[in-house]
Amino acid sequence: MSEKLGFIGLGIMGGGMAANLVRAGYEVTVWNRTASRMAPVTDLGAQAAGSPREVAERSTVVMICVSDTPDVVAVTEGAEGVLAGLAPGSVVVDHSTISPSETRRLAALAEEAGGSWLDGPVSGGSEGAALGTLSIMVGGGASDLDRVRPYLEAMGKSITHTGPVGSGQMVKLVNQVLVVVNQLAVSEALLFAEVGGLDLDATLSAVTGGAAGSWMLANRGPQMIVRDWRPGFTIDLQQKDLRLVLEAADELGVPLPGTAVVFQLYRALQHRGLGSEGNHALVKALEHIVGAQVGESPH
Amino acid sequence: MVSEKLGFIGLGIMGGGMAANLVRAGFEVTVWNRTASRMAPVTDLGAQAAGSPREVAERSSVVLICVSDTPDVVAVTEGAEGILAGLSAGSVVVDHSTISPSETRRLAALAVEAGGSWLDGPVSGGSEGAALGTLSIMVGGEASDLDRVRPYLEAMGKTITHTGPVGSGQMVKLVNQVLVVVNMLAASEALLLADAGGLDLDATLSAVTGGAAGSWMLANRGPQIVVRDWRPGFTVDLQQKDLRLVLEAADELGVPLPGTALVFQLYRAVQRRGLGAEGQHALVKALEHMAGVKVGEAPQ
Repeated sequence: MSEKLGFIGLGIMGGGMAANLVRAGYEVTVWNRTASRMAPVTDLGAQAAGSPREVAERSTVVMICVSDTPDVVAVTEGAEGVLAGLAPGSVVVDHSTISPSETRRLAALAEEAGGSWLDGPVSGGSEGAALGTLSIMVGGGASDLDRVRPYLEAMGKSITHTGPVGSGQMVKLVNQVLVVVNQLAVSEALLFAEVGGLDLDATLSAVTGGAAGSWMLANRGPQMIVRDWRPGFTIDLQQKDLRLVLEAADELGVPLPGTAVVFQLYRALQHRGLGSEGNHALVKALEHIVGAQVGESPH
Repeated sequence: MVSEKLGFIGLGIMGGGMAANLVRAGFEVTVWNRTASRMAPVTDLGAQAAGSPREVAERSSVVLICVSDTPDVVAVTEGAEGILAGLSAGSVVVDHSTISPSETRRLAALAVEAGGSWLDGPVSGGSEGAALGTLSIMVGGEASDLDRVRPYLEAMGKTITHTGPVGSGQMVKLVNQVLVVVNMLAASEALLLADAGGLDLDATLSAVTGGAAGSWMLANRGPQIVVRDWRPGFTVDLQQKDLRLVLEAADELGVPLPGTALVFQLYRAVQRRGLGAEGQHALVKALEHMAGVKVGEAPQ
């Protein structure tokens, strides 16, 4: 017998994820801060609730997918929050990318309320959310994960158990360090190649396959040299995640000099109003410093 | 078609293997090395020893060089006993060292003045690739010169790429090094954060290596870092020599490379502690020393 599911947060990610749960035949109660955003999912058959508390009262598994740490806190705590309505034995799964330490605090509150908490941040973008092909990194009790795995499998392709509660968030932050510093490598390399007079296509073919290779170089390098800034992941979202990385690193006392440089460079781009471009527009921060431009738009 | 007479200057850890592969492929090779005793392994295979770079050039129509750094290439090329003093008209010099692109263009102009020509052909693939003949060779210079020497390069390398005019092989090699070291910084910071955050490092590597966070460095050096295996694919000292070339070229071109410059400073700290002979993935140790933690080791 399937459990009753709740889903809180129907934005660009959560909307697709909740729709996939409904399409898989599960009974889903939803809530969203902006009520009009519930229509696409209630049209598919989901029930709308009046508050996060009400979602929790009607469900045994409550999923959350909102923007940032304060948003998760807002839907979890307080008189109208998830914890106020959580029945003993229920489990909360937070798919937002938020602070690992705040995650552990909320998990402790869920346990006090007789429930449990899994952190399950996702990667794969809005396309992955819509298609149900997300990667989900899950921290928390293995038995809780086993219990919710069928629902996660309706939303994601690869479900990894990363360890205790909070570890899913930490792995996601580690992932973001790699993404942005690899992006810095690609940006410096292409600017250097351009000013050095190299053919950028030939340069990419010469270096992508060897020890210099990365996913970023192979996928964003070709976009950069034709100046295609359409986002796989926007600068604004990247900055929100980097803020979490640098905050966690500060709590842990870990120096991340490369990541910190990238955060400052992205800040300069946001100041120029480029926050909705893809994270590979990082190269523009270096272009602005030097007054040169990598590649050319094809026209 | 008669094969040309080949010369090879510099029989170190890279050049020794490369020259041996030319001899084994049946080519007639005259060699010279600053430390004369290092010529024995190649002369034992059948190469002829010369008394100077000039003498190598006098006896060869294709002269290959593989020495350490820019001043070494200058030393074997210019002066009374250098290659240019013995180069005959129509001969071609191929420099396999990784050196300054601008100095490469200057030496190439001198070779042209002497009636010859110059190709820059820096290699990647390490001493193992040199020994096995599986190097990647990035060649800058005239396409017709490359066509002429291609059979000899194919005895030493698996992938021969024409990158453009003279100096471009060196530039592409330097671009390659920017990617290598900043990707290494990414892997170092990521593993340090993961370790301090209490994550299982093996599980973390499996979770992130296959996706948008992936790189050759993470896939190949990440597992080495986690078990604290510092054996070099490429040493910190050699990496620094190449980064010096990168930062010098970037300075000439007026290009800011903040990440690369940061890595150079971190490697300098690692060298200062006497760790220059470790693999370049020991970059993580610079961060460890700052933080007072060690990746892959439980806290005391």
